[in-house]
Amino acid sequence: MKRETDYGYEIKPVYTPKDIENLDYAKDVGDPGSYPFVRGYHLNGYRNRVWTRRMTAGLGSSRRTNELLKQYREMGQTQGILVICDRPSAMPIDSDHPVGRREAGVLGWPASSLLEFEELMDGIPLTGQSITLLGSSAMSSIRLAYIVALAEKRGIDLKEVHGSVTEYPFCHTFGQTDNLPLDLNIKLWLDSSEYIVRNKMHMRSGILSQHLQESGGNNAQALAIEMAMLKELLGLLVNERGLDFDDLALLPYELVSIGSRFFEEIAKVRALRRMYAKMAKETFKAKSDKACQLLIAVHTSGRTMTYQQPLNNIARCAIQTLAGAIAGCTAIDNACLDNAHAEPSVFAARMSLNTQHIVSDETGVTDVTDPLAGSYFVEYLTNNVEAEAYKILQQIEDQGGMIAAVKKGYVQNMVKESARQKQKEIESGERLIVGVNELTIPPEEDDDIPIQAVEASDSEEIAKRMETWKKTRNLPLLKEKMAQLYADAKKDDTHTLMPSIIEAVKAYGTGGEIMGVIRKASGFHYDPLEIIDCPFDL
Amino acid sequence: MVNSVVKKIVNGDVRVAAKLIRDIDDGTPGTREILKALYGHTGNAYIIGITGAPGVGKSTVADQMVHALRKNGKTVGVLAVDPTSPLSGGAILGDRIRMQRHSLDEGVFIRSLATRGQFGGLTQSTRSAIDVVDAMGKDYIIVETVGVGQDEIDIAKSAHTTVIVVVPGMGDNIQAIKAGIFEVGDIFVINKSDRPDAEKTLNDLKAMIDITRKKFKKEGWEPPILMAEAVSNKGIVELLNEIEKHRKNRKALSRESIIRHKKAIARFELIDMIKSRLVEEALNHIINSLEFKKYLDCIMDGTKDPYSACDELLSAKLNFLEDENTE
Amino acid sequence: MSNRRRIKVLISVIGLDGHSTGAEIVSRFLMDAGMEVVYLGIYQTPEMIVSAAIQETVDVIGISSHASNYEQIGLLIDLMKKDNLNDIPVICGGTIPKQYAEVLIKKGVSKIFPPQSTSESIINYIVSSVKR
Repeated sequence: MKRETDYGYEIKPVYTPKDIENLDYAKDVGDPGSYPFVRGYHLNGYRNRVWTRRMTAGLGSSRRTNELLKQYREMGQTQGILVICDRPSAMPIDSDHPVGRREAGVLGWPASSLLEFEELMDGIPLTGQSITLLGSSAMSSIRLAYIVALAEKRGIDLKEVHGSVTEYPFCHTFGQTDNLPLDLNIKLWLDSSEYIVRNKMHMRSGILSQHLQESGGNNAQALAIEMAMLKELLGLLVNERGLDFDDLALLPYELVSIGSRFFEEIAKVRALRRMYAKMAKETFKAKSDKACQLLIAVHTSGRTMTYQQPLNNIARCAIQTLAGAIAGCTAIDNACLDNAHAEPSVFAARMSLNTQHIVSDETGVTDVTDPLAGSYFVEYLTNNVEAEAYKILQQIEDQGGMIAAVKKGYVQNMVKESARQKQKEIESGERLIVGVNELTIPPEEDDDIPIQAVEASDSEEIAKRMETWKKTRNLPLLKEKMAQLYADAKKDDTHTLMPSIIEAVKAYGTGGEIMGVIRKASGFHYDPLEIIDCPFDL
Repeated sequence: MVNSVVKKIVNGDVRVAAKLIRDIDDGTPGTREILKALYGHTGNAYIIGITGAPGVGKSTVADQMVHALRKNGKTVGVLAVDPTSPLSGGAILGDRIRMQRHSLDEGVFIRSLATRGQFGGLTQSTRSAIDVVDAMGKDYIIVETVGVGQDEIDIAKSAHTTVIVVVPGMGDNIQAIKAGIFEVGDIFVINKSDRPDAEKTLNDLKAMIDITRKKFKKEGWEPPILMAEAVSNKGIVELLNEIEKHRKNRKALSRESIIRHKKAIARFELIDMIKSRLVEEALNHIINSLEFKKYLDCIMDGTKDPYSACDELLSAKLNFLEDENTE
Repeated sequence: MSNRRRIKVLISVIGLDGHSTGAEIVSRFLMDAGMEVVYLGIYQTPEMIVSAAIQETVDVIGISSHASNYEQIGLLIDLMKKDNLNDIPVICGGTIPKQYAEVLIKKGVSKIFPPQSTSESIINYIVSSVKR
């Protein structure tokens, strides 16, 4: 059995004061709420506000997802909603696209138009809870436009809406369904982020290490790549868009994947806070404390949810949730026990939410902030993973920064190697997984769990509805807005497309259409799959 | 039987043609007869070789070329060759990824091949594959290989036009690139030319091409150097234009020059064919013999040195080598 | 002469599933086991996979499915039946729930490999199914 962290540090049997004798509490750790924020951002921690307990939703048509969200609300999810988009709309292609129609509403909400968003949010408040829409970078600016459009319709002040609907431009790098060329993704991210900051919206942009870890990246890599992304993207907002770093304080949020190796995961999150604080102060000369704080949400790792004996995953999820809570975070969403099988069944979803409530209500973890501070082992690990992360960060810098490194494939290869390494360790038994390489049982005896049906039957209905609905729109108005968008997209990179995207969304332009027009203006094929042509005369 | 196979291939039957290519690769008996019968149907396709180091974007260039050629109503065959792992004998044939958008186009036939360079089989199998696709009636055949070994440069000898693809930043390594590349390259493409160093690479290439031409006293066609960004489809139309120019240039050569050229290629191809067949059969014959095992044992227990073992095995198994006056 | 024969496998992700990591890992160990792998990557429709399988004369088709729409795999089997490609076994790896696994096997998929299946089991299955 390997007694190493996942990035290769060999763990000793015992840790003593000697291991952290150079640790200066005031300088290196600080109280919660004090720089460098290792211990968290609030002295009173969860006593002020417990982390948001939420579940990913997104299944079938917008109506169905709407019902599901209302159901979750009754099961205790009251602080926020989290909806994931289906694959076609993540690319984006529309539900009526010849290839898209096969997977419309499958494994996610069909996010292709404002109409769908209105149906999704029918009877659900836009304020008073966080609104998070996930689903790759390409659609981000359009999802932001949905928020703007719906807020306007409901007569809500934009500043009252909080949550996150935009995502970082490197999604596709780590295996997500996203089909815009990287440079275009980056430009649109800058546009949507600039819009958020200038309008003082409380919407955050997800710059996530979750994807790369779920693809096999180890903890040191996760920290390094996360910091490299933040540095480069926030740097662009400051240097290219002329924003003040302190105004960016409310923009980024990170979703960290938490696995089963309890102490390492806690150390990872603590180190992350310190690394971000240092970067904010030293690189960006942040003036306020708030600008040195990174909003961190936790996602318990889907990668660790085994196919075999899925009920074991309840225990794993509980351990990971506890780790996330102790590490300190603003929200936790769980991969459910049936993650390796299907979308969460109601049973699995309830199990996850209950797990979160058991951890928050029964264990006492909300009584104290950062309870493991001072532990010789945990403080050592925090320092250790940070040091390793800086080495990798330097390598990325040597490649010219995150964008250059991604274009060269450097980052991708690093993560792939780590994935292979992890696979090898499981196959050789160096890392044990109950039910997989130890204590296995024959498949016939395995747990019987309810499986959420993959409702593909909705797909054709969603596709047909979109087809017919498209014709009922105010077409002259739409054409006008598309022409405007096209003209704007032809201008130079620093000209923000948000205003014209918002106008196009309000005229009920779809994701596929809006992104298609932008792609066309940038010299690419209208359709990422090069099957359909642009329906507008441009 | 042979006739029906030939007929189907000439009519463009994908499945039969694909199976034949597989059988040739696998050394399945019976393929030689079909190839002989097919030969008369070859000679129509224009063969373009694309070679270059891994990662320069050959497949993307090939993909865009297919796209452009199809727009002009031409049919295309693509043979994408990837290296076999010397350790395992397996291969990952991943060039097709870049070209999959053409997979449903009936005017395009894409085939991936592994070099399998065991008995110099690379050039042989691939050349036969070219013949098969030629017989299918394709207007153009693009053969894409990784230009790091000698075999891959040999492929270029079978092509009518050879395109060499490089990327900026290879500047320092241009000296290290096999000299053979500069002899066989008809057109050079600097892909990913949006990168810095593109100018420098252009100058380095120019210098190398000039040196090579002077050294071998080459006249006539001067290899152009093109800038491209294949991912954004830039430079591809220019590339196809240069290929057409080269094609016309070949046609315009004097009759003697054309015959001389064709003869040189025919000689080379025949020798290569003989070589691969000969080596494979002779080697198998020797390795599978009892004498081989006996000699191996002798080397192991020290009673024979490998040089003597080799000489004695050859004179025992191959009679004509006893005569030292062979050419 | 026929010791030159290499097993040729087509590996692809299907539909709009963007998770290529599993497929890449499998391609790699199949290559290490001496097989020739035609790797198609992502965004492959069933039609595209069938077309590639014909042009490449593969022995086996391996589909990597990470939370995919299983209908796509069913569609692939249907297309293969229509094109008389039944002699090419189709295997699937990835997160496929037991009951869908049963449906797919009934439809004509030869074998399903759940997550964390060993490379050895996959290699052995391919070798034995090609021998038949």
